[in-house]
Amino acid sequence: MNGFVYENGRAYFVLGDSAEETASHNAAKCSFFSRDYEEECFYDDDVTCYNCRYRRWNRDGFECMKGGCQ
Amino acid sequence: MTDTATEKILICIDDTDDLDSIGTGELLENICAAMEKAGLGRAGFVTRHQLLISDRIAYTSHNSSMCCSAETNDLPSLLKLAGAYLEANCAPSSDPGLCVFRCGEAAEGLSEFGRRAQNEVLTKDDAYAAAACYPGRVFLSEHGGSGDGVIGALAGVGLRLTGNDGRIKGKIRPENPGEIMTAAEFCRRYHVARLINDDGETAAPDELVRFDEQTKAVLLDDLITLPADRKDGFWIPRPKKKSPKDGK
Repeated sequence: MNGFVYENGRAYFVLGDSAEETASHNAAKCSFFSRDYEEECFYDDDVTCYNCRYRRWNRDGFECMKGGCQ
Repeated sequence: MTDTATEKILICIDDTDDLDSIGTGELLENICAAMEKAGLGRAGFVTRHQLLISDRIAYTSHNSSMCCSAETNDLPSLLKLAGAYLEANCAPSSDPGLCVFRCGEAAEGLSEFGRRAQNEVLTKDDAYAAAACYPGRVFLSEHGGSGDGVIGALAGVGLRLTGNDGRIKGKIRPENPGEIMTAAEFCRRYHVARLINDDGETAAPDELVRFDEQTKAVLLDDLITLPADRKDGFWIPRPKKKSPKDGK
């Protein structure tokens, strides 16, 4: 369970903004992970989707602009 | 910059980046550096202001704007420089907007606009209407694309004016993790105004602070404020770990 729902070619992480374990696990194995600017990282220096510049926040979590673990 | 005839201003920009460009905060710092190099003014600190997360808004990834306090001795030249800098350095697909505000009397209408931008979808017309209430004080301009960045830029100024919104750009890292010092020394060394806990209590100058992990300051009561907790006789700055979408 990586937390993503795929719709129309887009990948939505739907576990909100506190699923740290899942988001960290995803980022650790993701070749696209790239840390966002300091002011946009909210989980210290962690490698997590929550700190990745390719996540776009939405009401339910975020959209992965790199396809979300596919 | 000379010390004569300076005025206090706020500079805010939004919608300057794309997924692969430098961030809006860094771009604002670059504008400030260019301003100082040109002898047009001196920059203060930068704050990040979270705006509404909504599918109806075309933000890149987080919909936040960045605002900096400054003093200038030549506002017309500064406006020219900042606009030209944005046009030369923003991401090609961005929609940059710039807002420069002359500080002075209260501008509650701008703060209200900022709060609205955190809760509803606003338009450029809304932004220009709000700015028009402060003639000669608000300078709102578009510098590429749709220019929709003027909405967030004006909102950022309004939120900064509340004195109670946003995080200060940059981490505060302990020089020696675990080091103990008085609150007065801590504030002097790390350039914060105070440490405060969730009960609203402020560390007295002679109380002890133990600085373990990197942290982030916020703007509260118009002061650079560090959230902290009292534990085991020490004030302990709270580690940087909050909800990603929590703009407070």
